[in-house]
Amino acid sequence: MEPKEQSKEKKEKLWFWNWVIASVIFRLVLIYFPKNLNLASRPEVSTPLTSLRRLAEGYWLKQLSMSPYAGSMYHGSPLLLSLLGPLTVKRIEGQPDHLLCSLVFVIADIVNAMLIRATGQNLQMEYTRSLKLLDHVKLSEKPEIIPSGDIAALVYLWNPFTIVACVGLSTSPIENLAIILSLYGACKRQAPLAAFGWVIATHLSLYPAILIIPMILLLGYGTDTPPRKLFLQRRNVEVGDNPPNDRCCEREEVVHRSEVPHVFSWRPVIHFFCWTSLWSVYVLVLCGISVKQYGGLWELFKRTYGFMLTVQDLSPNIGVLWYFFAEVFDFFRNFFLIVFHGNILFMMLPLAIRLKHRPCFLAFVYIAISSMLKSYPSVGDSALYLGLLGLFVNELADMQFSFFLFCGYVGVSLLSPVMHNLWIWRGTGNANFYFATAMAYACLQIILVVESVSAMLNHDRKLRKPLTELQDGKN
Amino acid sequence: MAESEAEVPKAKPRPIVRLGIFLISHSCLFSVICCTAGVLTLLLLPVLAKNTYISENALMPGSANPMFSSQEVSEANRLVKSLTSLDSKPVGSGIESQRLIAEYMSDLGAEISYHKFYPRSNQFHPLHFFSYPDSGSTRENVSCISHGLNTVGIIRAPRGDGKEAIVLVTPYNSLKVGPGEALSLGIAYSVFSLLTQVTWLAKDIIWLVADSRYGEYAAVNAWLRDYHMPVFSGLSALKAEICPVSNVHNELKENSVTERKINDGFRRAGTMATALVIKVTDGSEHFEDSLSIYAEASNGQMPNLDLINIVNYLAVHRQGLRVKVEKMRSLINCKWLKILGEILQSLGHVAKSLNPQWKFGIPAKDYVEGAATLASSLYYQALGVPTGPHGAFRDYEIDAITMEISSRVALNNKARKNDFLLRGGRLIEGVIRTVNNLLEKFHQSFFLYLLTSPSKFVSVGVYMIAFALLVASLPVVAASLYADAHKVDPSFGIDKSTPQASATDELSITPRSCKWLNAAKKVFLVHLWGAVVSFLPYFICQIPSCTPTTSFVVWVLLSSFSLPILSLILGSSFSYGRPSQPQKRDWTLLKSVTISAAFIGLCLMSVINFATAEIGALLMVPMCLMAQPLKLDIRSRKLRKFLRVACNLALGFLGFPPAGFFVLKGAFEGFGGITVGDFWSWLESIWSWSSATYLYIGWFERTRS
Repeated sequence: MEPKEQSKEKKEKLWFWNWVIASVIFRLVLIYFPKNLNLASRPEVSTPLTSLRRLAEGYWLKQLSMSPYAGSMYHGSPLLLSLLGPLTVKRIEGQPDHLLCSLVFVIADIVNAMLIRATGQNLQMEYTRSLKLLDHVKLSEKPEIIPSGDIAALVYLWNPFTIVACVGLSTSPIENLAIILSLYGACKRQAPLAAFGWVIATHLSLYPAILIIPMILLLGYGTDTPPRKLFLQRRNVEVGDNPPNDRCCEREEVVHRSEVPHVFSWRPVIHFFCWTSLWSVYVLVLCGISVKQYGGLWELFKRTYGFMLTVQDLSPNIGVLWYFFAEVFDFFRNFFLIVFHGNILFMMLPLAIRLKHRPCFLAFVYIAISSMLKSYPSVGDSALYLGLLGLFVNELADMQFSFFLFCGYVGVSLLSPVMHNLWIWRGTGNANFYFATAMAYACLQIILVVESVSAMLNHDRKLRKPLTELQDGKN
Repeated sequence: MAESEAEVPKAKPRPIVRLGIFLISHSCLFSVICCTAGVLTLLLLPVLAKNTYISENALMPGSANPMFSSQEVSEANRLVKSLTSLDSKPVGSGIESQRLIAEYMSDLGAEISYHKFYPRSNQFHPLHFFSYPDSGSTRENVSCISHGLNTVGIIRAPRGDGKEAIVLVTPYNSLKVGPGEALSLGIAYSVFSLLTQVTWLAKDIIWLVADSRYGEYAAVNAWLRDYHMPVFSGLSALKAEICPVSNVHNELKENSVTERKINDGFRRAGTMATALVIKVTDGSEHFEDSLSIYAEASNGQMPNLDLINIVNYLAVHRQGLRVKVEKMRSLINCKWLKILGEILQSLGHVAKSLNPQWKFGIPAKDYVEGAATLASSLYYQALGVPTGPHGAFRDYEIDAITMEISSRVALNNKARKNDFLLRGGRLIEGVIRTVNNLLEKFHQSFFLYLLTSPSKFVSVGVYMIAFALLVASLPVVAASLYADAHKVDPSFGIDKSTPQASATDELSITPRSCKWLNAAKKVFLVHLWGAVVSFLPYFICQIPSCTPTTSFVVWVLLSSFSLPILSLILGSSFSYGRPSQPQKRDWTLLKSVTISAAFIGLCLMSVINFATAEIGALLMVPMCLMAQPLKLDIRSRKLRKFLRVACNLALGFLGFPPAGFFVLKGAFEGFGGITVGDFWSWLESIWSWSSATYLYIGWFERTRS
């Protein structure tokens, strides 16, 4: 029995690695046909912030000792410029342009998948442990607990959005890498790593700044568990009945152990803050050095974060803001800017209160919301949250409308290029055609967030049900 | 768009939920009603057609008196005469006629350039649809021996800024100038000569004398490609390496009085506002001089309706020509269509007698004619092959039509011929003058429409209703099947479990929502197979020297092999020895996924090319709805079931041969040599068929299990 199981496990592992390697090969094959695909010029893939073409332009300007931000071409971080910039100009004979950059993005994707897998394993361990604590023996022992880490990693790697973002020369794999790194660090409770990831992610794309709440919760409470109330309830049940046998003592011990992660521990959080300030000072100094000749840090903030927050570039993308701000009267512009960005902030606190026992899931929800409401969304952002969605495959198994959402994503992602073609190349459509798909996409994302949150809450309720029954039986 | 329809029934508010549940529970009835309504609306379209109107106010067609007079007619006659006299001489007529035309043009003071092109071998690229036409594909293998030569003359407008142009195209075969071609050249020349003198011209005029030795479309397309993609020195050097620059230009320039005016370089005149292709045929008409309009470009794109309106208006009201558009002749004598027309006519009468303000009845004859025109309009749009050289313009967002003027009798009589030339010339002058008034591009009127007669059209808002009704049943049926599959599920979960354990059992049954994943995987596999099958011709094209038949055989063999290979790679989903109990549920899920995939596909196609989607929907919707596993049906021997099986088989047969037919035709014409866009459009149609084939595969697979 035992060796058989082991071999099965081995086989499964092999299966996972096979798929990972296949995904890498698939990407490399796609990289060698860049001309045909022309992905780098798709508005869905490369936004003003993530386009590598713009980065190359910025690097070119910098080589000419001009400000890389001159002419409103480049709006990313100067660190990324000095990291990726040299790679954009290096050409290898007979190879496609930007081969090195593409390879960097492929590597970033693989690292992302590995980090997601490690996070998933961590989460799953916690999940089975808490199920054991809650005495859901059946649930915890059944073989159907899917290895969520593997699933999530494969979902991330084989998601067409990820592949397109990786092959389409957008820098979003690197931004995603920073975000996932911070989540991983927080899950492992390594404050320096988490702080580094968070600082870099915030520096690169600003919106991950809101992840600080899940970070603190993760470091303070530990990874996702069922609500704390359940454990208290469980203990009450235990205390209520005291048949004198060994099992009880064992359980009590277990219950005592279970209390430990549910007390907010300040130590790692303070560590985290210390490291955060350290890293941010470091990043700021580096930035300051690199933009010293070109107007200093203030200019940098204006050209990057200011560009993001004031939505200056109204070229079409899959978000909804470009159309809105193209239509809105100028004197309402500031008001709506505040409204749209406030939207993200308004949702933070209620969600944090409701989902504080599941910080990883909270991070997923935050990322999904911000990728819906951010000023220049691309499919790379969707790739990230869809990958993270795979982490909760056990909890969200009963999600409603999953089939509908799947169909919707497929439909929208096919319809969007067609509408763009109608509008731009054929001239028979207009901007409304394309914007309609963007709206449908936004609706799908909203449904996804709403349904996943409600499925998660339902799952918690389900966990509570046998406990309350037990309690009622006692009383 | 219609995706939201599927979502609406599931949304939160109470009445909508109830409505959704109602629809889903009566999905069978609903789908039958929807399908019939869809077909009926399609048949009603000729009645619903509206009269065309000129939507852009700036055009003002026919507001000025024509300046085209008998003087221009005599010029035209001069050219025709010299062309025909040249044609009687046997030697070297190819270049001679070009030079002759160029001489005539330069006498008028126009800028002239020759455009040499090589007919390119038909290149098909599967991904061209999403990018700009022909972007970056300059390195084609050209055969250096055969080349065509277009002559291009440009008049600079006295009031223009050289940023806009109107194009006149006269395709003609330089080796053998027919009488019709000579006349069309004559008309174009006379208009051209008039336009050199007028003062009102605000847009440059380009006269492209297209060398149609290798096909009219190829010549025009080659010129347009070079017009829009400037060749830089590096590339031209590369080209020169391939083909040593022949001394055609020098040859042409020799002995030419007007040497200084002929340029080697490519002359341009800004963006093109519109293009008119002029053709003349003679002697085929019985009643009066007539004008046929051809408008369909690749992938079912149409020029702006205003362009057709102008031509129609000027031809009918100014020149007294009879305007025709293409019809399906076979439908005109169709019995049932006539009967339907009669019924509609009498219905219209009844309605009129009830309330004189209801005027929806049209005479039966009009109905039949309209239906025939509509059918041909649908057919050509669905085919996606342009009906003339104007199709090349639409790829560059230029509105263009072909005007084929045909006379009543053979044009031997001189006075008759002069009259004909006068009318043709005035018509073209009028159209050019009207377009010349245009301030922007054509944008005011419709791009998406179907014609039921030259002066009647069905707009997108109307014909989409027919399509939406036809397709609306798909998401509802998919939802109901999906719900069914889930209803079956808990029952088998519960009957095993004791009441105490039900709570935990509820948790432990396999995650419900993920069951469709297996079905989705299967459907994805078959779709992938369909995609592979439709991409295969591209690779087969690369195989040198093979006849259409052999390549077709290769294709069939490869595609049938690729399915097992694919299924092997993607985790053998086909080889399950499935127990009989969950079979039904699996089937319902599979059908549900299939139907939703078909729905997405049809909606996409309706955006790309409505006509293809409509015809595809007519075939696929009943097929999707009726498909049932054969085995289950056969097991229960009932008459009703048997009927259903028979129906299924019949539909399957009906559906498959067209698929085969389309594929066959696509393959043959593809290898024979049509252009990129066309072949893509063929593939597009095949793509829509591949979604039909997966149904069969799914179906047959069911039959096997």
